[in-house]
Amino acid sequence: MNYQFLIETFFVALSGVPIALLVTIVALLIAIPLGFLLALTRINKIPIIHHFAKIYVSFVRGTPIIIQIFIIYSSVPLLLKIIFEKYNIAYDIYKINPIWYAFIVFAFSTTAILIEVFRSALGTIEKGQLEAAHAVGLTTFQAYRRIIIPQALVVAMPNICTATVNLIKATSLGYAMSLPEITLKAKVAANVGYNYVEAYIDIFIVYLILCSTVEYIFKRYEKHLSKFKMASA
Amino acid sequence: MDKYFDASYIWNAIPVLLPFLKVTFLVAGSSIVLGTLFGLLLAAAKLSSLKVLQKSANFYTTIMRCTPSIVLLFLVYYGVPALAENFGLNLHSIETAFFVVVTFTLQFAAIMSEVIRSSYLAINKGQFEAAVSVGLTPFQAYRRIIFPQALVIALPNFGNGMIALLQEGALAYTIGLIDIVGKANLIIASNINAHALEIYIALAIVYWVLSIIIEKFFAMLEKFFSKGKKTLETT
Repeated sequence: MNYQFLIETFFVALSGVPIALLVTIVALLIAIPLGFLLALTRINKIPIIHHFAKIYVSFVRGTPIIIQIFIIYSSVPLLLKIIFEKYNIAYDIYKINPIWYAFIVFAFSTTAILIEVFRSALGTIEKGQLEAAHAVGLTTFQAYRRIIIPQALVVAMPNICTATVNLIKATSLGYAMSLPEITLKAKVAANVGYNYVEAYIDIFIVYLILCSTVEYIFKRYEKHLSKFKMASA
Repeated sequence: MDKYFDASYIWNAIPVLLPFLKVTFLVAGSSIVLGTLFGLLLAAAKLSSLKVLQKSANFYTTIMRCTPSIVLLFLVYYGVPALAENFGLNLHSIETAFFVVVTFTLQFAAIMSEVIRSSYLAINKGQFEAAVSVGLTPFQAYRRIIFPQALVIALPNFGNGMIALLQEGALAYTIGLIDIVGKANLIIASNINAHALEIYIALAIVYWVLSIIIEKFFAMLEKFFSKGKKTLETT
């Protein structure tokens, strides 16, 4: 065991954290509103869109994320190439920063997970809540913002936490898009001297710290939110 | 380059890929069996009254939940032989499938321990007491009263865990296992990286269909086993 390498590489792996977090946050920022809207279409059975959402969720849940990465990473450049050639845009598609692909892939998969999370959370809120809000004169939007969402969020929080942790873990697959995040950076450092055991121990520790921190933050937030929780009848 | 996208590659790839599902199933199947057994031990530790056992089992689950499969996979792949060397064992020439099974056993055990624990806790304690009071031994009470009820509760989560395992198993190609994903990458390499998209779509279709089959199968099992549950609720 090369201890000096172990310590040095730890900081190399740590330098990948901002990229991993950036991808996670951007993916969540896209996925949360989109997932919520699609969950609403599922609940209200909006024609066509709710069928589309159903197939979409089934696809993402049914296929490994690495294969979703492969598909998006090989299909988006093809599509862009066709579009660019059509409109004579002189831009080299192979110069696109892989982080854009990472945003697309992880937003794509997280949206599907969150659709199910929001759908089950909204399902726990009684219909009478919305009717009561209407009866006292709130608009549907107000009713959702003030009555339904705060209650549904309490139910959804643990699942959102799981989804976030899974998302952070999934960014480790960014290596397939040559995204310089935690795993790839440490692996590249290990390639020089074949110190793979040390490198993977470092990666392991970094993810452990990252995910425990995220879990801790969510726990704190859940406690804060629980004041919206209804007293169980 | 003749065509950007040729759908015929998708249909031609599927029959070539399907035989390699055998490897995928073998690895996933052994991980499920071993992982469930290990998960049972972990769940027992979590439910035991010994604080040390509880703490260490919970700690193990937290670690497993925080580790990406690919990191665990490589950690096992490089770490286990290095550890074994200290004891004078040479594991360098062993099959890659072994490391894949070890990895996913470790991971599946963590998932299963939570599934087993929560389904056990869902059964009312009075059930066990009632069984013992009518003269069943504790083992009989578990086998005849607790287990059949806990099984029904555990089934949907077990099914989800299985689907998750199958999907994480797709990463086994990274350490050189020639399963269905490994074969797909070989096909692409032999095409000099052309038509990769079509092969990946074929792969996605295979996984998608498999997941739907597993989902439906577990829904059926649940319906079958919950027959007894209904009568309990009504009485």
